[in-house]
Amino acid sequence: MMLARVEGNLTATCKHPSFNGWRFLICQPVDLADHPEGNPVVAIDPIGAGLHERVILSTDGSAARLAVNDPISPARIMVMGIADEPNPPEVP
Amino acid sequence: MRLGTVIGRVTLNITVPALRGARWLLVSPFTRGHFQRGTQAPAGLSKDPTLVVYDSLGAGLGDTIGFIEGREAAMPFSVPTPIDAINGAIVDNVFYTPKS
Repeated sequence: MMLARVEGNLTATCKHPSFNGWRFLICQPVDLADHPEGNPVVAIDPIGAGLHERVILSTDGSAARLAVNDPISPARIMVMGIADEPNPPEVP
Repeated sequence: MRLGTVIGRVTLNITVPALRGARWLLVSPFTRGHFQRGTQAPAGLSKDPTLVVYDSLGAGLGDTIGFIEGREAAMPFSVPTPIDAINGAIVDNVFYTPKS
């Protein structure tokens, strides 16, 4: 599992049929001090994570294949959960 | 899945039987500093090494695609196929706003 920050999303009309109806989120893997590590990856998102939220990504395909309900889907990286912020911004 | 822009195509004349008739794209993957915003890929190549991706969706030159690497790339085939990168989506629009 990877900790990542959501930094955008994308639309794709022509895709593998198992992705139909799924949201694609651009996630930047981060360390605990919130510094980016490596390059952004695109994850499929079943739970509706918002922009700049910290999420937990599963990089194992078997979980994603179960989620998209297609045993031969090439899905791999999937958002598993939204992590709480250690120090949330002050609400005025 | 990772994003990249198609910069060329590769044709093979001698292949293993499982890969006969395949279509191959030459893809330059995006990095954090070299990422598409909107519908146009940034000019030039990224610093990451270019790779060859199996394509069954028909992406053309200059398209931005999302490709999947690793064991999952060979999942959509009935016979065991020795590939490790497959084109999963042809990207229309990218909304990318990194947190400073």
